[in-house]
Amino acid sequence: MAQAPLRIAAIDWGMLETLMALGVTPIAATELIQFRKDAVEPIIPPDVVDLGLRGSPNYELLHLLRPDLILISPFYTRHEAALKAIAPILSLPFYVRGEPPFEKALAAVQALGERLAVPEKAVSVLAGIGTEIEDYRRMLAPFADRPTYLVNIGDARHVRVFGFDSMFGDVLARLGLGNAWTDRSRFTFAAPVPVENLAADKDARIVVISQIPLEARSGLRNSIIWNSLPPVREGRIIMLDNINPYGGVTAGIRFARLLTEGLLALGHGK
Amino acid sequence: MTARGWIFLGVGLLASLALFSFEASQQVDVARWPQLLSATSPLSLDELILVYSLLPRAAVALVAGAALGLSGALLQQLLRNPIADPSTLGISAGAQLTIVAATLYAPEIVDGHRTAVALGGAGLAAAIVFALGWRKAFEPVTMVVSGLLVGVTAAALSAAMTLAQGEYLMSLVTWNGGSLSQQDWSVFNALAVEFVIAAFLSALLIRPLLVLGLGDTSARSLGVSLGGFRFAIAAIATALAGFVAAGVGLVSFVGLAAPAFVRACGARRPAMIITLSPLAGGLFLWLCDGIVQFVARSSSENFPTGAITALVGGPLLFWLLPKVRSMEVPHEAPVSTRRLPFGRGILALLLLVPVILILAFFIGSTGTGWKILSPIEAADLAPLRWPRLLAAAAAGGLLSLTGAILQRMTGNAMASPEVVGVSGGAGLGFAAALTVAPDGGTFSLFMGAGIGALVAMAAVLAFASRRDLPPEKLLLAGIAVGSFSSSILSVLLAIGDQRSWQILAWLGGSASTATPATALFLAALSAVIFTGSLLFSRWLTILPFGPSVAHALGLPVRASRVGMLVVCGAATGAASLLVGPLSFVGLIAPHIARRAGFAMAGPHMAASFVLGAVLMAFADFGARTATFPYELPLGLFAALVCAPYLIWLVGRK
Repeated sequence: MAQAPLRIAAIDWGMLETLMALGVTPIAATELIQFRKDAVEPIIPPDVVDLGLRGSPNYELLHLLRPDLILISPFYTRHEAALKAIAPILSLPFYVRGEPPFEKALAAVQALGERLAVPEKAVSVLAGIGTEIEDYRRMLAPFADRPTYLVNIGDARHVRVFGFDSMFGDVLARLGLGNAWTDRSRFTFAAPVPVENLAADKDARIVVISQIPLEARSGLRNSIIWNSLPPVREGRIIMLDNINPYGGVTAGIRFARLLTEGLLALGHGK
Repeated sequence: MTARGWIFLGVGLLASLALFSFEASQQVDVARWPQLLSATSPLSLDELILVYSLLPRAAVALVAGAALGLSGALLQQLLRNPIADPSTLGISAGAQLTIVAATLYAPEIVDGHRTAVALGGAGLAAAIVFALGWRKAFEPVTMVVSGLLVGVTAAALSAAMTLAQGEYLMSLVTWNGGSLSQQDWSVFNALAVEFVIAAFLSALLIRPLLVLGLGDTSARSLGVSLGGFRFAIAAIATALAGFVAAGVGLVSFVGLAAPAFVRACGARRPAMIITLSPLAGGLFLWLCDGIVQFVARSSSENFPTGAITALVGGPLLFWLLPKVRSMEVPHEAPVSTRRLPFGRGILALLLLVPVILILAFFIGSTGTGWKILSPIEAADLAPLRWPRLLAAAAAGGLLSLTGAILQRMTGNAMASPEVVGVSGGAGLGFAAALTVAPDGGTFSLFMGAGIGALVAMAAVLAFASRRDLPPEKLLLAGIAVGSFSSSILSVLLAIGDQRSWQILAWLGGSASTATPATALFLAALSAVIFTGSLLFSRWLTILPFGPSVAHALGLPVRASRVGMLVVCGAATGAASLLVGPLSFVGLIAPHIARRAGFAMAGPHMAASFVLGAVLMAFADFGARTATFPYELPLGLFAALVCAPYLIWLVGRK
């Protein structure tokens, strides 16, 4: 008996990535303008309907699209009742304070695969991710003796630092590299850290994730503290393109790939 | 200044110095400090951090605090108002709004022209507040209430813009919080030059300013042209706030605290207060920043310093309130002698209801155009549309009713639910509920906000209950509670986690969270409160004539005020859960109703209720369709609908 494919709407961006990773394209997702800019991967086909802001998804549009399943995460508890009235929901956790999220993203692939009755696809996706991580890990082995700061530039005076309970921190550990930020994770909604806090580990390298905001560029260029941080002064710094910090497996793998490319281009010893 | 004053200043200085020295010695061993001056060898990183981060940070704290202290002292002297400062007058929030907007929509301008952008916003906000106060001769309470309205609007707009861009705008959050951390001496250099120029100009203006203190008539007889000086002083004070905003962000209440402290230490002469306020302000901010750094070092919890000074603001306002001498402003004469027959008037209002219903149920936006829905489509969407429509209308009715009661009770046309502090209290309760029960869902949030609103109201009441609850004290106490709660919310935003997102969402107000159950609850509540409030008609007719008339007529002045306030608090708390802390509907609907000729208390309340419900229902339609499929926050859209009326009100003779 041939079944029509499920009509799925993704409210959470992590869930959107997980779904796309399983080879299923949703009929609708939230904030696609921002997603295409910030997350870049996966490419969302133009016919996927934009449901508006993640903070207030457009219920009416969602209702008119008649989805069979709505994908959310515990971030959207506030909307759960209203969404349930439209279609069954599946809520999977990605980001829990103090817990490594890549593990959860992998578990989400498994869980969603089972829910969509494509468990074998989930298994092959997970196997592919495992091989890819293993490959990057091997390539990065020469870089393992130096700890790494993972940061995102907020303004000319503040950075966000990704700790072990961020997607990037978790993937970094899986790639066999040490995180120079040993404090509890600063990766939350805002939690900015003054730039001089990056001076604690003088041997580290700095990986800047996502483009530096336009309004911070000249300030950072002229900043005496930033320029005298040993990693900056000695060229142990790489800039990565935009990656979704609240993503799923795709964001994790995108980070692993960009990091590997960046470090290999930088050369050994740095 | 008394000896006690000097001792306080000395202790503050010592404490700040001790905190700074501790921080600096943690960075670079004290024994190596002398070498820093000789600068023969290149500095190590730790030494660089001391010289280019810690030292400029302390210097910036001092000069920013001094600038704010001077700004506050000038404004207080100019307006003869002990609670005037850049934050209470909405000037800082205006600067914040333009920076946020520019960061979002024209980031290349902010890179290098931050000061110009902030000055533009500060100037605009100051112009609006002064224009609002103009007709009332800059009467203190009116000025502060106008400042609050401008400030709340700017903050809500900033929040909505931040929210609309997703949660990644860290630079905005640090900026909003007022972080003092430095990378080099550039901020200090800019601020120092700006401060010195401003201080020099105000020194030139001090003499005429002192004459101003004698009052308009005596100043005029001394041959001083008042307008020019007033304008110049206001411009200097505004510019100072803008400079600080551009350099370090939103640092609130320093301008309020510094002159208050100087006066409390015994300084009486205006010249003395203006001279010492920058000193006190600088020390105060340095001390706060020292505490922030100490906490950051010992607990790795980084708070923006501005969020900490804001915490001082609320209690400080309470302490200052008894000193506010409201000038005898006669209660507003009835704005209109026209009387509208109630039946015909309310009928005209009710005629709007079918229009709203048709708009709400049969019109849809497709993103590119409009569409008239067929009955089948309308029926299909109705289950999604009626709860938010009903909830929005009920909330609008409740807020307007509250506004009508407050405006009649206080005799102040600017009174509204935003002003009595209840919305702020609801926000605090909301945040507390999020903290205690993160996954509690709507019910716990509702309870939290309700309890918060009641507690805030109780605080206002407790404060204002001395001596017959004088209405202007009530407004000021409400503002104090409101400022306090919004500063706690900004600390929570600065800590930043999942809660922040929900708090931001609440600040904007969203109707889409209304469920059939909450909509029916709000509707029932509004019906009950509306019916109940009609019992207040007699009180509200008599109270505006003043307490003596009321006493003579045997009215229990205190009890009636307490009763009405409890009702107002409950109504606002319930409505603000849906609409957020701001809408202006509660401010303008009673205004319009009164101008239209609903002069008597009962009809006035009834007309306000209906008009508020209609306005908010329309706002819901607009918020839903204006930027389809992206939904706008309801409270914000309502504020945007109401703002033109407020501007018209300002422009009116």
